[in-house]
Amino acid sequence: MTEQQQMDLRRDEVEAGAQTGLASPSVDVTSGRQNSLWGDAWRDLRRNPLFWIGAVLGLSFLLMALVPQLFARGADPRDCDLSNSNQKPSAEHWFGFDQQGCDYLANVVHGARNSLIIGLLAVAVVLVLGVVVGAIAGFYGRWLDGLLSRLTDIFYALPLILGALVVLRSGILGRGVVAVAIALAAFGWMTAMRLVRSQVIAVKSSDYVAAARAMGASNRRILVRHILPNAVAPVLVYTTITIGVLIAAEATLTFLGVGLQRPAISWGLQIENGQSLLRTAPHLVLFPSLVLTLTVMAFIMMGDALRDALDPRQRA
Amino acid sequence: MSDATSGSTAASSARGTDRGAGWARTEPSGAAGAASQAPPRAAAGETLLEIRGLEKHFPLTQGVVFRRTVGHVRAVDGVDLTMRRGETVGLVGESGCGKSTVSKLLVALEKPTAGEILYKGRDVARMNRRALKAYRREVQIIFQDPYASLNPRMTVGDIVSEGWAVHTDVAPKKGRLQRTQELLDRVGLNPDYVNRYPHQFSGGQRQRIGIARALALRPEVIVCDEPVSALDVSVQAQVVNLLEDLQDEFGLSYLFIAHDLSVVRHISDRVAVMYLGRVVEEGTDEQVYGSPSHPYTQALLSSVPLHEPHLRGQKDRILLEGDVPSPADPPSGCRFRTRCWKAQDICAQEPPALVDRGQGHPSACHFAEARTVVPTE
Amino acid sequence: MTRPDPTTSVLTGSAGTPVLEVDDLHVEFRTRSGVVNAVNGISYSLAEGQTLAILGESGSGKSVSAQAIMGILDSPPAVITGGGILFEGRDLLTQSPEEQRKVRGPGISMIFQDALSSLNPVYSVGYQIGEMFRAHRGTSKRDAKKHAVELMDRVRIPGAASRVDDFPHQFSGGMRQRVMIAMAIALDPRVLIADEPTTALDVTVQAQVMDLLKDLQRDTGMGLVLITHDLGVVNEVADDVAVMYAGRIVERGTVDDVFGNPAHPYTEGLMNSVPQVEAKGGRLQPIVGQPPNLAAIPSGCPFHPRCARRRLGADAAPGRECATDVPPLRLVVPGREAACHYSEEVLGV
Repeated sequence: MTEQQQMDLRRDEVEAGAQTGLASPSVDVTSGRQNSLWGDAWRDLRRNPLFWIGAVLGLSFLLMALVPQLFARGADPRDCDLSNSNQKPSAEHWFGFDQQGCDYLANVVHGARNSLIIGLLAVAVVLVLGVVVGAIAGFYGRWLDGLLSRLTDIFYALPLILGALVVLRSGILGRGVVAVAIALAAFGWMTAMRLVRSQVIAVKSSDYVAAARAMGASNRRILVRHILPNAVAPVLVYTTITIGVLIAAEATLTFLGVGLQRPAISWGLQIENGQSLLRTAPHLVLFPSLVLTLTVMAFIMMGDALRDALDPRQRA
Repeated sequence: MSDATSGSTAASSARGTDRGAGWARTEPSGAAGAASQAPPRAAAGETLLEIRGLEKHFPLTQGVVFRRTVGHVRAVDGVDLTMRRGETVGLVGESGCGKSTVSKLLVALEKPTAGEILYKGRDVARMNRRALKAYRREVQIIFQDPYASLNPRMTVGDIVSEGWAVHTDVAPKKGRLQRTQELLDRVGLNPDYVNRYPHQFSGGQRQRIGIARALALRPEVIVCDEPVSALDVSVQAQVVNLLEDLQDEFGLSYLFIAHDLSVVRHISDRVAVMYLGRVVEEGTDEQVYGSPSHPYTQALLSSVPLHEPHLRGQKDRILLEGDVPSPADPPSGCRFRTRCWKAQDICAQEPPALVDRGQGHPSACHFAEARTVVPTE
Repeated sequence: MTRPDPTTSVLTGSAGTPVLEVDDLHVEFRTRSGVVNAVNGISYSLAEGQTLAILGESGSGKSVSAQAIMGILDSPPAVITGGGILFEGRDLLTQSPEEQRKVRGPGISMIFQDALSSLNPVYSVGYQIGEMFRAHRGTSKRDAKKHAVELMDRVRIPGAASRVDDFPHQFSGGMRQRVMIAMAIALDPRVLIADEPTTALDVTVQAQVMDLLKDLQRDTGMGLVLITHDLGVVNEVADDVAVMYAGRIVERGTVDDVFGNPAHPYTEGLMNSVPQVEAKGGRLQPIVGQPPNLAAIPSGCPFHPRCARRRLGADAAPGRECATDVPPLRLVVPGREAACHYSEEVLGV
């Protein structure tokens, strides 16, 4: 029996029921502060090694995106020499050279910026759109839900790549990094919306929401304090996985001729170009894929840790 | 652990004698202590809640995009009930009789289709925002399921003190933590539990948290919707006793909704029996249980298994045939006539009114006749 | 129904050899967070025509022991770690799965609390009842359906012939439970285990279903194990009762004896904590504290932290210290067993 259980037991006897009234100053009520869900979650996160691994990885990629020079070992990604074309990795050039004979390490490192911007920006838009539309549809229900759900269905009917292709071809957004991110997000938010909506509907009809409502709590309070904390967890996990999907989708757009184009540098572009040389120069696909996988893993680890931290039932 | 626990049962009983202080309201209603066979405690109290002709019909719809109404479920169909200050009114009935809908209507979670709920003389449905907010402070609810009624992602402290964030005038911000702890203490939980989460508690303890949340706003009325039915037998009695003590201490009035007739009799001053959306009989516990005059009440009481061996086989056996009709298509006239052994032609034509038919208490049966079903000791 | 002679029923199984014997059964759940000791050595026997109630609260192990008998424990995590389950003298636990299958169904059958989830929603009730005959006796489809109608008649489902092709959702809760009973008695089992058969039902329907079970038992002479938390149901239906707490039987005897004059403080506490319908009654006398956590059952007598009569330290008689010495289930007076060091005191003898 743990010490905690013993304490509970001792307490149980007092709380009993035969005598429900305790003498007034029976307990010293000065135990100090009151915790909140987010405070507890943060304390929990800090003790989770997975979170730290994810955070360190994520931060290093972020640093790579901000100051690529630090990681490129002095090489310039655009300083190419065709005589080095497709050379294998060596002690001098860790990642070897690409088809144009440019140092591949420098290229991969410089690709972090565009890829991360596209991944993070697109996911942020997905998250915001998904949570806002899903919460509104689920919470207010009735005709608004019908309208928003049908709208979502329409977006579902358009495949991610096809939709983004049409938008980018039309040229409304231009062809830059932001345009690609927004085009991808515009056709990738629907699953997040459905997840949020179904969670909100489930939580909305729970007794604790009824209790808050009967107490006179406002809609805003109910949404923020009760519904969202309980509805957001599955979406967090979904979005962390989506980051990788979106970065990879950027590569497909490039292949179709509407994504980023050279001389822009991104992991998507590199994987796309490397594909045709997979047999002669596998390292051209291997290295950008590796960093992409590591990036996605970093976010998944952080997302998982956050989900568990936000669920008190998961705590020991 | 033996030493620490050894004397505490004795200690707790000693402590029980000098209870009171702490969270007491201005005037604890005089007669504290055991609620033994005393007459209805607050029969003289002023009328607090009055329900008149209350109806709630839920539309039955078909279709997804183009919804059309194909009928109505008459969950509550003409309920009258009065509650006086300091009184416990029991509402019993089987599943689907509409008793839970009554509780939702009372705490303004649903809007009535017809009829009125008068609280201190004012109709709740016509209250403005401010009056409704005040009403929601004074009328609280305790739910049946102690697992579903507490937000799993909030600490116990946040749950109990949530009402103060809505009704900021009840407790000043500064002393809230201490008041939360006093409340936990009052309902029999360790005040140090403020930072714990609901899943760390057992069913009975969770129900105490729910009670503390309701108490936090210092309500006048608490609607108890099956508050002990989800609890283990040995824990039920703890919660019932707690509710009784809090009533004496804070002068609360309860609407106690349950399907367990024994618990309702134990705690209630007056009892109303519901069947298919209507009250079929009403009276003091002695009247309804001792001399039930509506056939449904008699059948209901006869079905309750007694747990005293010497009373076995002594009660009147009435076995009802068939099932409860659908509330979407209730029988004409008297709702109970399809299962009633006394039914005659008039029962199909004329719905019986809930009036005193010479039994000393109201009964909605054309052929009301007192009958002792449960043996009395 | 005649009540068996109290002096013989408890210990030997009334009149004649027992059909079902449970001998020192142990079941534990091995979970990631530790071992949960759900059943810690329970023994009982059931004779033909006898109704034995197993009374306990949630987590007392009453349902787990029944699942062990039926071989429907979820394993893993559940593991039977000891004991035997004897049906007509043969230990089920040492038999092959094929031999067990021949006993479970025709020999012992079971009904559950939740009839809706126990029935398959996509087959008609007639088909599901008939399945018992097809699976165990190889009856033809047509004959199976004929049997199904007969059985539905026997469990008093009105208009059985016209309802045999209806689906489970078209029945009310009480009627669904009757369908479950029909399936359970289809092969004339010698033992029927009813796990909280009426807990999900309304009180008037409960009375109908209990009545039906009693009549069926009288007609067929099967033994009935009634698992419930409801003292009233036990009193009205059972001959004998075994009270369970923390995976152990703490008291056993005829219902009249046990309820009339409990020998274990837990039974006594239960009797005192339930309100009565026949009188308003005074203040309830609850049992203090919460039911135990089966992953950390208190030392000594598992009930001692909640017990009003416990004796600790110097108060206790030698070898009978409640917090350290586990009280065995022992004969207190003829026909009555209890697992308390101080049962004589509780009984007042």
